[in-house]
Amino acid sequence: MKAAGRIALLISLLLVAVLIGIRVGAVGLSFADIVGAFTGRADDATRSIVLGLRTPRVVLAALCGAALALSGGTCQALLRNPLADPYILGISSGAAVGAVGAVMLGVDNGPTWMLPVAAFAGSLVALMLVLRIATIAGEAFDSRILILAGVVVAAFGNAIVLLFLTFADVESFRSAMFWMMGSLSGATWTRAATLGVPLVVAGVTLFGYARSLDALAIGDTTAAALGVSVESTKRICFVLASLLAAVSVSVSGVVGFVGLVTPHAIRLLWGSDHRLLLPASALLGASFLVFADLGARSMVHTAELPLGVVTALVGVPFFVMLLRRRDG
Amino acid sequence: MRAVFCCLAVCFALTATGCGRERTVAVPVAPPIVLVDDHGDTVRLPKPATRVISLIPSATETLIALGAIDRIVGRTRYDIDSAVLSKPSVGTGLTPNLETMVALRPDLVILWSSDKRGDVQAQLTRAGVRTLAVSLQDTTDAFRALALLGDAIGERAKATTLIASLQRTFAATRASVAAEKKPRVFYVVFNNPPMTTGPNTFIAQILALAGGENIFADSPANWPTIPMEELVKRDPDVIVLPVGEMPDSSVNRLHVMPGWRDLRAVRAGHIVRIDANLASRPGPNMGRAAVALRDLLHPAQASK
Repeated sequence: MKAAGRIALLISLLLVAVLIGIRVGAVGLSFADIVGAFTGRADDATRSIVLGLRTPRVVLAALCGAALALSGGTCQALLRNPLADPYILGISSGAAVGAVGAVMLGVDNGPTWMLPVAAFAGSLVALMLVLRIATIAGEAFDSRILILAGVVVAAFGNAIVLLFLTFADVESFRSAMFWMMGSLSGATWTRAATLGVPLVVAGVTLFGYARSLDALAIGDTTAAALGVSVESTKRICFVLASLLAAVSVSVSGVVGFVGLVTPHAIRLLWGSDHRLLLPASALLGASFLVFADLGARSMVHTAELPLGVVTALVGVPFFVMLLRRRDG
Repeated sequence: MRAVFCCLAVCFALTATGCGRERTVAVPVAPPIVLVDDHGDTVRLPKPATRVISLIPSATETLIALGAIDRIVGRTRYDIDSAVLSKPSVGTGLTPNLETMVALRPDLVILWSSDKRGDVQAQLTRAGVRTLAVSLQDTTDAFRALALLGDAIGERAKATTLIASLQRTFAATRASVAAEKKPRVFYVVFNNPPMTTGPNTFIAQILALAGGENIFADSPANWPTIPMEELVKRDPDVIVLPVGEMPDSSVNRLHVMPGWRDLRAVRAGHIVRIDANLASRPGPNMGRAAVALRDLLHPAQASK
């Protein structure tokens, strides 16, 4: 029951985050304006702002945060490495190669779905490359080899991105940098659905593997002794976690920090039972990213801040506070 | 106040004509040209520049307009005038290839004074190449740069004529729309995130005299990034979209991008396109840019 209470607490936090996220923005709107937008009584501009811009953006922020935190928590358990994050298997650099490549080719001037699709394709190629390298190196799904393969592929991807940028004109450079710093400004209901559906599917599946993840977090041998089929569990969980990160990166660019730190925060607070850790991380990650995006779009009136900058600026002090609390 | 000084000392040859017996020097010696550029640096030219590299496309256009195409020895990747395309390219204006430039033995390189790192200028100076830094934020800057370039190549008279002609075009354009209702305009510098012009750039000034009201004229920045929500709230009558830098398909894109697609101007198709190379270069074509914008914003005035 304790767990249920904690989940309920996090759900309330998320609801508050979403309501504040819809309430506050670059244009000051009264509470009556917001309600009016939903009931259809507000003017066109207000309706466009609330229904067309703010609400899909808040929802996408919540979904992204949830996907990244869930993915990060899973990767940390599988790799038994506290530094593991959703992008550890080369996802972000692969996506960056795809996205920046698309920008360079001018594909981003085509339909709006092309950039996310290019990013997703890039991250899939990177993921396959990492898994392939790990297989060549010997025992598949050995944590150390996977991490190394991820680092190597990421370095290669970054080099390609820098190579692209060397030849980029000003416009392309701007587009590429903006994408790489992470932003939810392109939020639409379509994008939210694109991320929401895989999030639900992966979330339910990973939750089913929660007990296996508990065992795997201790060690492969222990897990095998406890009757976990180590190889297939790892394969399925890795692929699901990476696909979640890939879809999320495709719709929002590279948003760091959430996936790395949210699961740690839950672990510090409430321990590492994955049946609690996974849903709690997802909910906390969702609230966190909604607040971070709120900061990104309203902290400075004249410009929008890169989301990744806000997540780290706000997240690091918060995390240090948690660490101190545990020590004290 | 950055003044432009040009020492137009009396030519020795003229003096010699008047007082022939007193002067034994038969060969006329041109006086040195002393300029103060927009960086505040004093630039001394022993004679009018004859081998010029311009790293600023609008300055290149100015040199051509002053009849100095033969004096241009290098260009940037962004120069488009067919007359200059046969010249060797030195790359982009902000990160040109220094070795290529030095090898072209220029006696003057024209570059942006707003290059914050100042690397190019420092390197060229170290290599013994004379530079002239030019600022081009507003039309006042543009006219000053025109005069400065005229002095540098010894064509001050042509520059003065060109400036006067541009100012006449500006005045005529402004007068032609004086009685018109001014549409509220959003000028697209960039579409995602939206970026536009503040009130103090040459683009804003040309837009104003072409009879458009900049909806972000209250912005303190020259090139402000605008929150999409703010743009939706201000909802312009007309969107001016420079094409060229952003490919043509960007019009279709505005119809699907969140926020943009809800704007009245987008839904009603009130998006006017202007050649980016015409609109965004503060050089000798500013007059044409003003007229083109006027024609787009006030079609009724176009035929007059």
